[in-house]
Order: sequence, then C-alpha cells, then structure tokens
Amino acid sequence: MNATALLNAALDELLERVRPVLALVSNGRHGTGAGVLAGDGLMVTNLHVVGRARSVKVLLDDDTSYDARVIASDPNVDLALLQIPANGHVGAVFSNSTPRPGELVYAFGHPWGQRNVLTGGVLSAVTSLRGRHSELAVLRADVQLAPGNSGGPLLNATGEVIGLNAMIFGGDQSVAIPASLIQSFLAGARKEKQEAVL
Amino acid sequence: MSNILVELSNSMAAATEKAAVSTVLVNGRRRMPASGIAFAPDLILTADHVVEQEDGITILLPDGTQAAAKLAGRDPGSDLAVLRLDGGKERLTPAEPAREARIGQLVLALGRPTDAGIEASLGVVSAMGGPLRTPHGSIDKYIRTDATPYPGFSGGPLVDAEGQVVGVNTSGFGRGVVLTIPAEVAWKVAEQLARSGSVKRGYLGVRSEAVELPDSAQKDLNRKQATGLLLVSVERKSPAEAGKLIVGDILVGIDGQPVPDHDALFAHLTGDVVGKSVPMEVLRGGKPQVFMVEVGARP
Repeated sequence: MNATALLNAALDELLERVRPVLALVSNGRHGTGAGVLAGDGLMVTNLHVVGRARSVKVLLDDDTSYDARVIASDPNVDLALLQIPANGHVGAVFSNSTPRPGELVYAFGHPWGQRNVLTGGVLSAVTSLRGRHSELAVLRADVQLAPGNSGGPLLNATGEVIGLNAMIFGGDQSVAIPASLIQSFLAGARKEKQEAVL
Repeated sequence: MSNILVELSNSMAAATEKAAVSTVLVNGRRRMPASGIAFAPDLILTADHVVEQEDGITILLPDGTQAAAKLAGRDPGSDLAVLRLDGGKERLTPAEPAREARIGQLVLALGRPTDAGIEASLGVVSAMGGPLRTPHGSIDKYIRTDATPYPGFSGGPLVDAEGQVVGVNTSGFGRGVVLTIPAEVAWKVAEQLARSGSVKRGYLGVRSEAVELPDSAQKDLNRKQATGLLLVSVERKSPAEAGKLIVGDILVGIDGQPVPDHDALFAHLTGDVVGKSVPMEVLRGGKPQVFMVEVGARP
C-alpha cells in the first residue's frame, strides 16, 4: 500500500472508533446539533443547541433514541450536559495533550442534518475570544463546518476529542471549546450530581 | 497508538513549529498587523502593501519580545518589502527556502497576526503560473494554494511538510485574490532590496514575438532550441538601438543563456544586469551574431 492508501485505512479505522460516541441532538424547535457521549449515560453538547429546553431528543449511532434531561449548563462556555436513561455506551476520550497548531484535526457532526459527516483540516490557532464579561479560550481550525456541527467533536489524529465545535465564522473557520474546559465543566457537573444523589 | 495518520499529524505540527521560529508579526500600518518571514538575522521579508510607514515599525518576535524596525527596501511590483531591525540587532532565525513547489503537494499557510501565537491552515499547491502583471509591475512566477488565508497572513510563509518556505503569501494584488510568491523569486528580490533598497528592472526597448527556429538555424547555433524572439520593433534611442539590434533579428540568447520565450527574456532582464553591457545572440539572415547591448533601467 502506498502512503495515501495507508492514510485512508487509518482514517476509516478512526471513523469506526469515534462513530459510537457521536449523537444527533434536537430540541424539537429549531434544527439539530450534535452531542458527544462522555460515559455513564452523560452527553455533552453546546448550550445553544439545547436552548432553553429541559429535555431534548437524542439519536445515537445505533439508531436508538432517547429523551435526554438537561442536567447542567454553563452559558460562559456554551456547554450543556445531558443525561440519557441508558448505560453501557462507550464514552469519548477527551485529550489531555496540548493542542499544536498545524496538527491534523477532524470535525465530526451532522452538517445541514446529514448524519455522521467527517471534515478534515488542521488546528489553526490556540487563542481566545473576547466575550462580554471575560476572555474565552478557544481553538480555531480550518475545517468546513455548517449548522448541525455544533456540539460535535473536534478530533485529533488519534481520535481523541480536543474540542467541541461551537461556532462558524465566514464559513471557513471554526471555533471549538477546548477539551480542558469541557473536562472541568464535566468534573463540576459530576460532582454536583453526586452531591444531589447523596 | 501510532499510525500513519498520527505520524502525518505530528510532522505537520512539527513543520509548523519549525517555521514558526522564523515567522514574525509585522506592525507596519494602523490597526491591521500582518506577518513576516525572517530572511537574515537582522532582516524580515514581508508584503509591501502591509508596510505603510518607513520607520517606527514594530516587530513581534516568535519569542514574544518586541523589536523596532525600519524599511530597508520595497518592490511594489512584486509586493515585497524588506525590513531591518534597528541598531544592527541580529535576533532572528532565518527561514529556509524550499525547493521548487509541485502541484498537489501538501502545504501550510502560516501567519502571526496576533500575540496569541502562530496560526496555520492546510492546503495543497493548486496551480503555478506566471509571468503575471500586477497593479505595480509584474512577477515572473506565482503559486496558488487552497489553504485558507486568514486575516493578517499577508507576508507570512507558505511552508512544505518539512517547514521550509515554499513562498510568501500576499493578498496585495487585489481583487480578493491571494497568491504566493515562490521562494526562489522572493529570496532574489529580498537580496536586492536588502542591498540597494529597490529592484531594478532591465529595459531594452524592443517589441518581440516568439517564433519557431528552422532546423538549419538550430544547427548553426549548435544547440537544440525550438523558438526565439523575433524583434518586430526597436524603439528610437533605446538600449537595443544603441546596441545595433534591428527589426527582423531573432533574439535567441542573452549572456550565453538561451532565450526561447518572453519568460526567459524577463528573467534575464531582472536584477543586477541593469547598466551592464551584455552579449545578445541574434539570428540575422539566418546566421548567429552577437551584439553587446548595455541594458537600460525600465523607466
């Protein structure tokens, strides 16, 4: 096999591995977005995908669908946490490594409602956006995104989630919430959940 | 886990990091920083159109420190400019130019438009062409890529998978088109700008068209050369007239190098040749002759 064939085989393998963690999220009112399974029946997505809904419909890769409860959200990082009434689903691996500009990245989502679309590019910048109240650390990539990609994972070449695709500027530039912010959001939400159970 | 995808990703990131060491932020106009490439320990190559002032230019170096620079030379024709760090400071790590680009090869467009670090986008070399008329002159060759040109990428490098510079990106030729000036062209221009502050372009004062050379003429030339340039007019009081060239001559060589087409003529008339007496080989009446012509400066 030549290098291109090897690359394609590696990409097929990556796709097969990440497919089970990607879900379609719809709040029943406007459009759809994506979500990423995070283990224990938890799913992370963008808050702007969920909107003000308290529960949303999610469709998993195996075509099972659930009503998912919105159990936590943080408008500062545009993240929401969903709970589905099912366990045993594999969760995504969130990257702990420092993102490197120039590394290969893949956005996985449902652009224009088309399921499981992978678009490739490189990580363009590790930067920040100035919000109304604070600076938000973000990743930028040159992958093609469209409505329906929001809440979907930005993956590195090993298939780890390095960010959650959140915004599109001018069609050719994506902004993703970095994995470090997702992980601290998840940790905070898990802690609250535990306290609520106790 | 390690596979070819991870290897490719790591090598693209490594290429970015390598070239980032030679990619600077150039503050040469109000509010809109652009990028530049370290060309020598004290020299920066950038796009001419992003430099709107001659001094008081600030440079953000890859290590995060600032430096002041002045314009050393500019060539609006190729939209290239060279800046020199103030006080003879030699603080830059010069970039390495790459070999000639190939259509389809993977490239990264890099820039440093903010203090947040290097930025990158991925693409391939889409096309190569030239010469090209530009708003203020011409360039011999250009490269087109489908890598996304982010704001502030003008003056920054297009690099190959090894982090070597394939060319300089610029949006300065207008109409929203972003082109890449090949490294071999850009480096040549930059060397002249660093030396003399401007690029001199040669002038002969002829109009010509490419014509096929008959086999007998090629035999007389003692080389295979399918075409030459038929002189269809010679301006009065021009360098060509002074050098005794006449209408009907077929220009076939300059300074011992074949001239099969206009590109070759352009290439021979750029740079150090201005003001020098250069042997021009023509076919006159089918027979090769050599005339010494002092190349003028294009007005």
